[in-house]
Amino acid sequence: MNKRTHELNRINNDLDKLLDPENEPAMTDIVCYLRGASISLYNQEIIRQDLLEMGLSAQERGENIQTVIGTDYKTFCDEIIASFPPKSNKEKVIDFFDTVFLSLSIFCAINIIMANETLVLIHNLIVGEPLNFNISITSGLIVSLLIALVAAFAIVNFIMKNSFTIGNLFHNNRPTVLLVLGSFPVFLIIAWFGRNTVFTVNIFIALLFSLGLYLAHCVLSRL
Amino acid sequence: MIPSQMLKGTLEGCILKVISYQETYGYEISQALQEYGFQDISEGTIYPLLLRLEKNGLVTTQYRASSLGPKRKYFQISSEGEIALTSFFANWKELENAVNQLFQNGGQKHE
Repeated sequence: MNKRTHELNRINNDLDKLLDPENEPAMTDIVCYLRGASISLYNQEIIRQDLLEMGLSAQERGENIQTVIGTDYKTFCDEIIASFPPKSNKEKVIDFFDTVFLSLSIFCAINIIMANETLVLIHNLIVGEPLNFNISITSGLIVSLLIALVAAFAIVNFIMKNSFTIGNLFHNNRPTVLLVLGSFPVFLIIAWFGRNTVFTVNIFIALLFSLGLYLAHCVLSRL
Repeated sequence: MIPSQMLKGTLEGCILKVISYQETYGYEISQALQEYGFQDISEGTIYPLLLRLEKNGLVTTQYRASSLGPKRKYFQISSEGEIALTSFFANWKELENAVNQLFQNGGQKHE
């Protein structure tokens, strides 16, 4: 997020807090849908600013957000989105790698902290036993990482595209909930069968790798 | 109430006409349209159209602080907008004339 987008985002977040509870869900769903649109983050914040002004002015007049924008939020949003230039291929590629780098850096950091070798290292450091700075990367971990990344992209995309109906979906569609819950045993099976070590890496190099990915995300998000 | 399909092609030109009178903002435009007889035209209805007018360079915009906190977007007609407005009104007169001809004098031609 570049400086001007960040500033507008901060202002909008503050304005968002002024919305009445009855108007909040509609605004949340609209913003969620806009996040999934192929328009720049800055333009998303511009739309958000305009809608917040409309919503807050309506509140001041004693009206609600539905009085101003109607109840067909999707059509309303689609018409707005069509008025803005779509993201270029370059912007799409930058966004993709930005998200991948951030996700990977978090995933790496969690796995370094949670690794058995890290716990043993801390224990040995306390009791004064010989230290082993290597951590194992298993095939299960790599497969889990890939599945988690793809699933995260798919789930986030699904939520953003269906933000106006997602509440009903989770209330009424039992198979969807079962599918989400059913994914946990899959990860357990992968962890069990993927215990073989593919390679070992020094914990400091792993931390540097994670930090490097995070820095790459910081650079890309400011473009 | 005027059906939305019928309004679709004309509302943009009417919004432009309201803006041509004076610099104004979304809610004020919707209120002005309602006063002229365009019922149920909310700020939300015209917002996508205002964005389209801005995108096409027919209006210029400026954000100004409002008493409520969020900045309010003000619209002003551009020189391209003035040309588009003249063209819209000429087209509208042509359409109005054709419809009137059909409804008022159409019967005589078929006699």
